[in-house]
Amino acid sequence: MTYPNDDEFLYALSSNQAWASYKSHQNPAFFKTLTNEHAPSILWIGCADSRVPETTILGLPPGAVFVHRNFANIISPTDINTAAVIEHAVVNLKVKHIILCGHSACDGARATLTDSRAGGVLETWLTSLRVVRAQLASQLATIRDDHTKEIMIAEKNVEVGVAVLMANSTVQEHIKSRGLEVHGCFFDISSGRIRDLGLGTRMSTRRAPSTNGTAETVRGKHAQLVFREGGVAGMEAR
Amino acid sequence: MTVHTRYRYELALCIPTHPPIPASPTRRPDLRLLAAGCSDSNSSSHSNPPPPPPHHHHHRPTFSSSSSSSQPPSTPTSSEPLAMPEEDITKYLRQSHARVFEHNRAWVTEQTKKDPEFFVKLSAGQKPEYLWIGCSDSRIPAEQITGLQPGEAFIHRNIANLVNNIDLNVMSVIQYAVRHLEVKHIIVCGHYGCGGVKAAMTPQDLGILNPWLRNIRDVYRQHSEELDAIPDESARYNRLVELNVIEQCRNVIKSAAVQQSYSKNKYPIVHGWVFGLDDGLLKDLNIGFEDMLAEIQKIYNLEDS
Repeated sequence: MTYPNDDEFLYALSSNQAWASYKSHQNPAFFKTLTNEHAPSILWIGCADSRVPETTILGLPPGAVFVHRNFANIISPTDINTAAVIEHAVVNLKVKHIILCGHSACDGARATLTDSRAGGVLETWLTSLRVVRAQLASQLATIRDDHTKEIMIAEKNVEVGVAVLMANSTVQEHIKSRGLEVHGCFFDISSGRIRDLGLGTRMSTRRAPSTNGTAETVRGKHAQLVFREGGVAGMEAR
Repeated sequence: MTVHTRYRYELALCIPTHPPIPASPTRRPDLRLLAAGCSDSNSSSHSNPPPPPPHHHHHRPTFSSSSSSSQPPSTPTSSEPLAMPEEDITKYLRQSHARVFEHNRAWVTEQTKKDPEFFVKLSAGQKPEYLWIGCSDSRIPAEQITGLQPGEAFIHRNIANLVNNIDLNVMSVIQYAVRHLEVKHIIVCGHYGCGGVKAAMTPQDLGILNPWLRNIRDVYRQHSEELDAIPDESARYNRLVELNVIEQCRNVIKSAAVQQSYSKNKYPIVHGWVFGLDDGLLKDLNIGFEDMLAEIQKIYNLEDS
């Protein structure tokens, strides 16, 4: 049979051949080790967006990050798909961190800003973001720039998702018994950087001013801006 | 089903056997060594090989670095109690979390060096050609094993790469990828030695995992004659992994989004692949998309909008 885009399809497959040769060349035992080991320390829950390839942006090798990615990184308490991933990662693989990561320029957040319907199953899935939009209605009304609005919705979505994770009974049990950590992060596509939103299990410790001597902190009402070395700035919820 | 009882206490990949965590968090081997087999501390580039340039399919990257002796990967797990004081555990967790941010900054520096406009272009929008539906398993990062760059593949990953009709999560991903992003290929990618597939065939109550993994038992039931005839256990599971991928491809094709788009645009094409952990290679199961679609539409036709 013929494919409409032979190039892309063959490219991906041939690229895999090159990757496998490269890995074996670097370390002949690489795939043998990979076959026998599965002990990731991180569960990453992120967006399906093609611009947020978790293992690549974290600079980690295969084997380090257990991954669930869905549309707009929504954590819905009754979603069986996410629930099964969390259960397996926390109970069986005993990951040490759960990272829920949102991102800028999120298509889900953009779709939420309009009143047009996505239709079908997508419409139902995006209901959680509609709730977030309604919760932020008064703040959104004061902002003109759509990108800023999208980021506000996407960040709040992470906050809501972390709250759902923290309410998950399996997660709670493992926080208590072995110090499992839950984090909310945000990936800025325009700079490639991830920042910690200071949510989840570190919420209380994050309230203290940064211990990093070179950081300057500007406190706001709901958040604080932290300027670190090398021009890195991050906003942390208080 | 006596054939599966061996897995009762094993749960296959779910219970890793590893050396205990080192006493000092600072001596913990860098995870990157697992990939790189190299002691260069600034080696994030090693985990991202240069993909072959487009339109040169037979290109192989050339490598100047010789492979040094690899450090045995001893990724710690907490399947055993951590043998360290509580404050050390806290410190260790801090460091392992901070490391992620260090690696991220190294990756940004590298990408910007290669292409100063990289992130500007990236934030302008996405137009991926592929939708990848794969397993959550940490050893199969879709982009790295296919050499695809950020922006090239829309990704959904769940336990055992399942596509269930009533799962709004995966169905939303498919709908968005097909109708809005107009992907050209949908790849369902399983992998041999899948812990989810093995766990599904374990005669044990796994709580919230039961309803999810039940789909795999259904695949087994549909193909029990073929599977029961395979005497070797791992060969039987590997075949179940393949059959599961084929069944999930069928489920993708049953969706209205795929049927309507294909009828109008002649895309997307659905593919079933399996990744081999022991050699890193992808195997195309050649599911025969057009024939499968025609067969499915005898009953599941949703072409009319």
